[in-house]
Amino acid sequence: MTKLKTCLICIAAAAILCSGTQDIEKKTFSWCGVVHAQDDWKIEFDDVCSKTQDAVIFSPDELRNLIARCDKLKPLIEKLDETQRKVFLKRLQLCRDLFSFALESKEKE
Amino acid sequence: MHPFTQLFTFFFFLLFSAGAVSAMTVVSPEIYGRVVINNYSSRSGLVPVVFDHWLHRAKFTCRLCHVDVGFAMEAGATKISAATNMRGFHCGSCHNGNRAFEGRKIFGSCSGSVMQEEAERCERCHSLGKDVKKEYEFNTFINRLPKNALGNSIDWEEAETKGLIKPVDFLEGISIKRTPMKMDKDVSIESGVAWMSDVLFSHKKHAVWNGCEVCHPEIFPITKKGAIKFSMLQISSGEYCGVCHTSVAFPLNDCQRCHTKPVQ
Repeated sequence: MTKLKTCLICIAAAAILCSGTQDIEKKTFSWCGVVHAQDDWKIEFDDVCSKTQDAVIFSPDELRNLIARCDKLKPLIEKLDETQRKVFLKRLQLCRDLFSFALESKEKE
Repeated sequence: MHPFTQLFTFFFFLLFSAGAVSAMTVVSPEIYGRVVINNYSSRSGLVPVVFDHWLHRAKFTCRLCHVDVGFAMEAGATKISAATNMRGFHCGSCHNGNRAFEGRKIFGSCSGSVMQEEAERCERCHSLGKDVKKEYEFNTFINRLPKNALGNSIDWEEAETKGLIKPVDFLEGISIKRTPMKMDKDVSIESGVAWMSDVLFSHKKHAVWNGCEVCHPEIFPITKKGAIKFSMLQISSGEYCGVCHTSVAFPLNDCQRCHTKPVQ
């Protein structure tokens, strides 16, 4: 009984620790607090921009959320060196503009 | 329609066709789709870059370069530089000296070295006005592909359908994994004149090479059907369909490729 209790406490503690490093908005998961801050923007960028092909099937709320995520990414990309900034701002703009276009189309339906 | 208006539009069409045909015929198939890039070349003492779409579009999708690599659809807007190429972006995404394609190593683009052997490599791209021997010779290259009278003289659509070209759509380290495009709806666009058949635009056909963000909203900012009226004048001056169909994709004087719906 005591063993089971200890085991349950351990599982609960692990769950609490890991949930502390889970970024719900980014839908990424960093194992037990190991966060690679430098690459966070790239993981988020890849995740957001991988959804462009599905833009037509998203609901207005989902599209608004994606636009907000693009807007949050912009200042992070602006902090990169000139070369990366030039490339990724352009690519981010393509994603954001498409989501915004899809949202506008949905709202006019 | 009033007979005078009909006559006027017909006359206008003839004028447009004459202009379009003469404009197209002065461009040889090899040169059709050629882009000359001179952002910083002249300032750096190099001749401008000559980029041929025919070679690259036979091997890669439009989407790969214009979305994943990030080449803007507007000429000159990307501001490609030696610095971006050397960092593995833009042309350097493939031309990094390490990547291989179809068993061949792709030559590296820009470098900071000033050695003589490096100069020869520079000339592979910085070749405007120079007689540079190319790795791919146009006439040999197109021999195995179905012919079309206009543009590059290649029927790219048929070449793709028959599997004669298999454009790559994913570049490791650059592309993001995406699901295939879910839009296959055809759009009917009414012709402005009674004697010309309507256009039946196929999203599906365009999706083979493109992604949504290649066209929307930059080229087609239309959020409601019929909100924008296209005119052939706008298109032939490089707007809407004309962004690609005056320079890279089959040209506008191939009317029946778009105006496919029978006249009612």
